[in-house]
Amino acid sequence: MISIDTTAPAKRRPKPSPPENEWRTGAQERAYRSSLLEALRAAGERRASGPRAVKEAADSALALTARGQSRWSRAVLLRRRSRLLVRAGGRIRRRKLPRRRPVGPTPGTGQPEGKKVRDRLRALGRLVPGCENLSTVSLLEEAADYVAALEMQAKAMRTLADDLLAAAASGNGRRAEG
Amino acid sequence: MEPGGSSGVGSGNSGTYTPEIAESLRFEEEIQSLIHQSFDGSSAAGGSFTALLGLPANQAVELLHHPGPGEPPASAASSSPTAGDLWRLRLGEHHAATDALRLPFGGSSTFVERAARFSVFATDDSPASSSGGGLSPGLKAEPPDSDSPPTLPAPAGRPRRPSKRKECEKSKAKAVAKKSKSAEENTSAVKPAAEENTSGDKLPYVHVRARRGQATDSHSLAERARREKINARMKLLQDLVPGCSKITGTALVLDEIINHVQSLQRQVEFLSMKLAAVNPRIDFSGLDHILSAECGPLAVGSGCGGGASGTAMWASDTAASTGGIRRMPPPQQIWHLDLVHPQQSSTVWENNGAAHPHFLLSPAISLVGYDPAGSVPLNSNQLKMEL
Repeated sequence: MISIDTTAPAKRRPKPSPPENEWRTGAQERAYRSSLLEALRAAGERRASGPRAVKEAADSALALTARGQSRWSRAVLLRRRSRLLVRAGGRIRRRKLPRRRPVGPTPGTGQPEGKKVRDRLRALGRLVPGCENLSTVSLLEEAADYVAALEMQAKAMRTLADDLLAAAASGNGRRAEG
Repeated sequence: MEPGGSSGVGSGNSGTYTPEIAESLRFEEEIQSLIHQSFDGSSAAGGSFTALLGLPANQAVELLHHPGPGEPPASAASSSPTAGDLWRLRLGEHHAATDALRLPFGGSSTFVERAARFSVFATDDSPASSSGGGLSPGLKAEPPDSDSPPTLPAPAGRPRRPSKRKECEKSKAKAVAKKSKSAEENTSAVKPAAEENTSGDKLPYVHVRARRGQATDSHSLAERARREKINARMKLLQDLVPGCSKITGTALVLDEIINHVQSLQRQVEFLSMKLAAVNPRIDFSGLDHILSAECGPLAVGSGCGGGASGTAMWASDTAASTGGIRRMPPPQQIWHLDLVHPQQSSTVWENNGAAHPHFLLSPAISLVGYDPAGSVPLNSNQLKMEL
């Protein structure tokens, strides 16, 4: 059999660990927490206490924790930047990805080429930030990373909120005591 | 755009490029002539073309403005309508067409590809002229090659084909691909068989559905590998999203994944709302002071600054230790001294710090739950967050 290295190194990033496991480590969660607190603090300084600002801060923190290794994280970070910068003609925001069509029309098994599948892939691309017109392969990769990151984010924020609320509650009680 | 000087190959043609229809007609005539040249006896191959293409041949013929050859009987003369059909069947089918025609035509396979592309663009009008222009120079080169043994140009045609195929793919619409997808699969299935056969002489086309092997064609190998990559990623996603392992079918799995992502995003939004509600009561400027100084100034803004400072300590610890060492007893001692409410919390810290020396954030945990009385359940709750 002709062994052709179709996983051309040009297209493939070296992945030392599967992304979802990476996100589940405690180290990542701690790193995220620190970034989150920092971002929240910054948002507080900016007098931006709306839930939207909090969410953006959280997302930026998450993208930061991702170390910019994934497309969605870069897209999220750039999204924030471009709000501060003047969108730079959209050039900064959206790196021109190798414009393979979202579902390349290829002969072969009709697996990802059904109409429904294609629609869903496109919907997924819209959900994941910065992955709108991405090839199927990259899209699935980004989606996996994004799902893992989202789970970690939700978990961290939940515990943080609970802790803060609990601390606030007890702090109120304490303050009442003196 | 090529001027109409390429009167070209075989039969005398008008050579004017302006009407695309005339161009396609010219191509057809040329192909016909080529077919007659090199392919007189191999009507079996011609028949195989038609058998290969089956029904679409008829439709394609009608689509093309080619009045002459009508139905596809198994004769060499019918190869021209089949050739026209091949042109009409777009995208990857022209790939197969070239394979099919490679047998008799040899070097003219590229010519057929271009013709196919051209006829496709005949409906689009605009690219037709440019592609037609590009085609004709090669066209002149074709006829000399047509007489050469087909095996020789066949390997040469093969590497060209994938590139041309890709060009074609890029320039054609997706809808086209969809339409001809099933035919593509058929033709791609037969294609490897054709290639295996052409290694010898001009063998008749054997309809071997060699879907399994496909090892001979680097292109299909790439397809296969890509397909496997996609499947592997899908599996990863399936494992990630709870409840997806049971679901079969890409569309449903993707549905689940999309729902999961949406629910996660909603959760994050909800939690951010919750945090925003908590935030005004927490003075983050106090956090800032504490983080920068790391000396725990007592001047924390609100009464709930204790909680904030707790988290700040926690954050500062992580921030300080992101450099490297994760277990630093000294910071714990520092916190023992530098707390906002040292008189109240020190005991708690020492207790918890001693109890959980390995927990990096246990001082922070105890900080947050600095009510000694209620610290136990609180600590357990917060310890949970570290795990």
